[in-house]
Amino acid sequence: MGFDERHVLPSLRLMPYDRLILVAGRDTFRSAGFRRLKALEPELRTVRVDPFDLTDALESIREAVRRAAAEGPVRISASGGTKILTNAAILAAFQEGVETWYCDPEPVRLPVLCGVRIGAAFSAAERAIARALHSPIRHDRLVAVIRDQGFARRTVLGAVHSLAAKGLIELEGEAGGVLVRPSPRFALFRDHLREVPKKA
Amino acid sequence: MTILFGTLGWRPQSLLPSIRSTENLERVVFYHSDHAKSRDARSKVMDFCRSLGVTASAVEVSDAYDLLHVAGQIRADLRKERAAGADLRFNIAGGTRLMSSAALLVCILEGIPATYVHDETYQEIPLPLLRISYGEGLTPKQREVLSFLVRNRDKDFTETALAKALDVHKATMNHHVRELESKGAVARLSDPHDARRLIVKVAPGMDLLIG
Repeated sequence: MGFDERHVLPSLRLMPYDRLILVAGRDTFRSAGFRRLKALEPELRTVRVDPFDLTDALESIREAVRRAAAEGPVRISASGGTKILTNAAILAAFQEGVETWYCDPEPVRLPVLCGVRIGAAFSAAERAIARALHSPIRHDRLVAVIRDQGFARRTVLGAVHSLAAKGLIELEGEAGGVLVRPSPRFALFRDHLREVPKKA
Repeated sequence: MTILFGTLGWRPQSLLPSIRSTENLERVVFYHSDHAKSRDARSKVMDFCRSLGVTASAVEVSDAYDLLHVAGQIRADLRKERAAGADLRFNIAGGTRLMSSAALLVCILEGIPATYVHDETYQEIPLPLLRISYGEGLTPKQREVLSFLVRNRDKDFTETALAKALDVHKATMNHHVRELESKGAVARLSDPHDARRLIVKVAPGMDLLIG
């Protein structure tokens, strides 16, 4: 939510809810719009973020979604606040697999696959590689380390190839072998790679 | 060769860092609104690209369109360039909220590396997006069912009719439809003419997912 509630109210009218959680920057919580909303929704919960820092906002929204999901179904209305806050909410929705609406002013449902979290994109072998990969390592050494954890050689080779295709590792030719190194984007996914997928 | 896509608002500074940092930059394509200040910013970006000897093309987007419409337009442009073999990057920092969010949506769905530029530091920050199509979160059969429903959006299909059209057993189709329904990709609605029938309808926006 930004300085007025005009993006929030259409969503509230549209979506049935039991609990309302508002994600916004410090200035919003001092605004008249927030006071009006609080008067409408005394049980309103709040999450304070830096609305100009996408990384901070993304992590805070993901955390809020995870906590709320433990209590029941979650929907996101992603159209209030700064542009960065909106984009962080959209990213969080896709990463956490949460139904999401964009109201500006007509409500549009975004094509998020509910329940499909970004962690589902990684296989067990890919997670094992991610846990083992902290700095550049020779390809044959990495394969041996992961095989020692009980994975077949073919599975490990496939996982290395898949992580490279996803842009998370880089393979470099070196005299006597290939070097595997985490890409600059690897750190952005460390949390997701650490997650253990739920049983089907 | 890399083609840099971007959204541009009133400040060229939101796009220039990406133009500077992109290796093997062949071309810049950016979207901007029809506001006078945005047109000024467009001229500055064009001048900057000219000074670097890089081709640039600007696409004016009216804010009157909806998010999915703008996203569809951006996706069509990206796919055209990707089909021609170009390596793609996207800077989503500038432009209106609608434009920037539409660009982000397409980058998520298509697996395009995206960045934004911090408002104060002008530091370029990569977004946590995988280089895979978001539609891979569905099985091939689920994608086939969804794709069929998107193509035939104006027609009504029951599960049985869908099973027949796609040549699978109706129990198998029931499984696929339930899975798609649990992911919010389709909904089963009562037929207004026959309350015993459930019509399978694709959720809005799913054509962007399947395309």
